Amino acid sequence: MLKITGLQAGYGKVLVLHGLDLVVPRGNLVTLIGSNGAGKTTTLRAISGMIKPQAGQVFLDDQDIAGKPSHKIARAGLAHSPEGRRVFATLSVEDNLTLGAFSRLIGVRAKGDVSADLDRAFVMFPRLAERRKQLAGTLSGGEQQMLAIGRALMLNPSVLLLDEPSMGLAPLLVAEVFRAIANLKAQSITMLLVEQFAAAALEVADYAYVLENGRITISGKAADLKNDPAVKAAYLGGH
Amino acid sequence: MDVFIQLVVSGISVGMIYATIAFGYQLTFATSRTLNFGQGEALMLGAVVGLSLMPVLGYWAMLPVVLAFGLLQGVVVERLGVARAVAQKSEFGWVMSTIALGVIFKNVAENIWGRDDLKFPSPLPETPVVIAGAHILPMEFLILAGALAMMLAVELFNRRTIWGKAVVATANDSDAAGLMGINTPQIVTLSYAMSSMTAAFAGVLIAPVTLTGATMGTALGLKAFAVAIIGGLTSGLGVIVGGILLGISEKMTGYYLATGYADVPGLFLLLLVLAIRPDGLFGKRAIKKV
Repeated sequence: MLKITGLQAGYGKVLVLHGLDLVVPRGNLVTLIGSNGAGKTTTLRAISGMIKPQAGQVFLDDQDIAGKPSHKIARAGLAHSPEGRRVFATLSVEDNLTLGAFSRLIGVRAKGDVSADLDRAFVMFPRLAERRKQLAGTLSGGEQQMLAIGRALMLNPSVLLLDEPSMGLAPLLVAEVFRAIANLKAQSITMLLVEQFAAAALEVADYAYVLENGRITISGKAADLKNDPAVKAAYLGGH
Repeated sequence: MDVFIQLVVSGISVGMIYATIAFGYQLTFATSRTLNFGQGEALMLGAVVGLSLMPVLGYWAMLPVVLAFGLLQGVVVERLGVARAVAQKSEFGWVMSTIALGVIFKNVAENIWGRDDLKFPSPLPETPVVIAGAHILPMEFLILAGALAMMLAVELFNRRTIWGKAVVATANDSDAAGLMGINTPQIVTLSYAMSSMTAAFAGVLIAPVTLTGATMGTALGLKAFAVAIIGGLTSGLGVIVGGILLGISEKMTGYYLATGYADVPGLFLLLLVLAIRPDGLFGKRAIKKV
């Protein structure tokens, strides 16, 4: 479970998030939608420790992780598939996935069966299995996105953050990525999904928040928001 | 012709020492975009510590101790001189502090081992072997093999072990590495430890064929820096080629022109490379993301 209260964060003196409250219940898929510059990516970065929040609490299960360095937050069980994918370009697909399990392999997080999880990642993303030994930098955008998600899953996370998994992908690949997300949801993985492609996100999510200028303006069941006139007009192209 | 071969061989062996030190510069540059300007002093410390251990342990048993000492010395340099600067994103603080630490190490060594150059006993016979008419010291082959083995060992560590992969991941994308649970400041410390270890090893490799003492490292560190720039700060092959180029050109100039000019070709090469290929002979041209 992820619970955020009064989160304020930004870059230097510029505050982007002005006190954000948000809950991702265990086993749920929650989406955060909003236009460019609303603060969606900043929210995820502040949760995972890529930037230090200026105020507020971030509870991962019962532990307040706000302000901790990112490696400690990862070791506590929060995985973040970041914007722009950020795969390790000069390492192979397999090494990228293995590094996702770094905390488990060095014994600071319950180890479980890493090689079984690696096999599972390859079953989930067969394209990655074909490119197991290939350098991540030579993959297509869609493959890199799958690798970024697979790598995050290798942590065995209790919460998974996904930042714009559809960004820059061809429509066919967007559909594939969303199928993978639906698949993860079916496995009851707790997820917070940030998406600009709001229609697809609302389709797959349980619950949704709309972020505008660093504040939550609308929230509710994803199915309800899909039919909300204000949401439709602003984010779903008015259909 | 015999002399020519002899010059080439000893040029290659000293060039491999430059390459090993330059390789050390690359290790820290990859993870932190910083360099240890006291790298020459790390080499010197390896040599003088090795010299003191020789009577007790002998050459071969002394090696692992010197490697361990190098690791530790690198940790000290990083913790004292670099960690704070990196954490505060200070752009140049580490330049001064690594130079300062180098000076301190040199002074400490002068006080312990004296200012005079010492003779480092050779583990191999000091009578040259004759190959194709050229007289070559067995130690020169050991330098070549040892330097290659050290670079290979570090490469294997980076490719095969989870900690090595964490080093490469940090070099690729430090923020993303943090998201994997990798403590990136710790990885930077590790890269400094490995960098000083390679330098200390280079020190005990070269010590038997050169003079050993507190002042031996400064010029070597500087020349290796030129090699790192010539070869490119990101290319392992580049420093080997750059090191050998510099080593051979020094020996040639020293013999055919005048010993006093031995340092000129290296510096000239450096200027030439900077003018024509600023990223080094094998360096990847920096691509600015928009």
